[in-house]
Amino acid sequence: MQWVVATAAFLASAVEFVEAFTIVLVVGVTVNWRSALLGALAAAATLALLVATLGTALVQWVPLDVLRTVIGTLLLLFGLKWLKNAIMRYAGLKARHDEQAIYEETRAELRARRAIDASSSRFDLFGFLLSYKSVLLEGLEVAFIVITFGLSAASSTVSRSSGIASAALGALAAGLLVILVGAIVRVPLAKVPENTLKFIVGIMLTTFGTFWLGEGFGVEWPLSDAFLLILIAIYLGASFLLTVWLKRVKMQQREQAIEKQSVQATEYSKEVSQ
Amino acid sequence: MKVIKAIYNFIVGDMVILIGVVLAVIILALINNVAVLAPLKGISGPFLVIAVLGSLVTTLSREAFSSRR
Repeated sequence: MQWVVATAAFLASAVEFVEAFTIVLVVGVTVNWRSALLGALAAAATLALLVATLGTALVQWVPLDVLRTVIGTLLLLFGLKWLKNAIMRYAGLKARHDEQAIYEETRAELRARRAIDASSSRFDLFGFLLSYKSVLLEGLEVAFIVITFGLSAASSTVSRSSGIASAALGALAAGLLVILVGAIVRVPLAKVPENTLKFIVGIMLTTFGTFWLGEGFGVEWPLSDAFLLILIAIYLGASFLLTVWLKRVKMQQREQAIEKQSVQATEYSKEVSQ
Repeated sequence: MKVIKAIYNFIVGDMVILIGVVLAVIILALINNVAVLAPLKGISGPFLVIAVLGSLVTTLSREAFSSRR
């Protein structure tokens, strides 16, 4: 079991599953549970098939150095996207994900679309497709992380397979946890610290992406694998500084806007009085 | 075109990050494969970290000072 791989997959999956769960929940409550669960299960099966086929093909056919370069690049792109969004949310430049709002919005959309009999257990194609689409789309990012992270964390074909298995187990554990908590509370999981999880995963993906991309180009990192900790510290420090800086920028922009508004209001009142 | 846009949005969705990372990869590939640039191999690691941080700072600055905000 590769714990770093499993943990990263667990955290990333938890965030995505919470988002997917919100839509499945709203379909379950508004349309019916049969269609919602069938859609979610069909999407989970599609994702499992994708990980199994793509993962096995990559393990068997692609040389490790090429894999590390390509996957390092993809992880870096993915990680920087997550990190950027998390920093913007911390700084207040982007709205935080609100599961309750998404739940209410989707529910209103479903109700507006047509009169729905939630008590009916008859299979509903629209509910099935909505549930399938949301789980598949959110799960694709998880599948991507499971494959790339699992493959790159290993140095041989055997350990690459075990890497994918570890990542898949991490994702499975997150999925089961979200379903279990969701089944108990039956409300959108709004209290999950989504942004913190996204931030941690962003740091992990960026760190490993940098490390593996460097290794793919023959970079010999000082202290070998222990350099990962230094990279984590560098990216954490930079993220902290960037968040503080962006908060200040936002505050200055707000002050300037207020000042501008008050000047305009004064000018307007002068014009009116003349 | 729609498919390309969907893939772009799925993987990165940010032109600054994409350009920064692709440029870093191209420069690393050049350092690794062109004999004249071989003496620069020693700074490949620090260069990569700086390129990553540079991309992050640039994209966040763009968002912070965007006229749309």
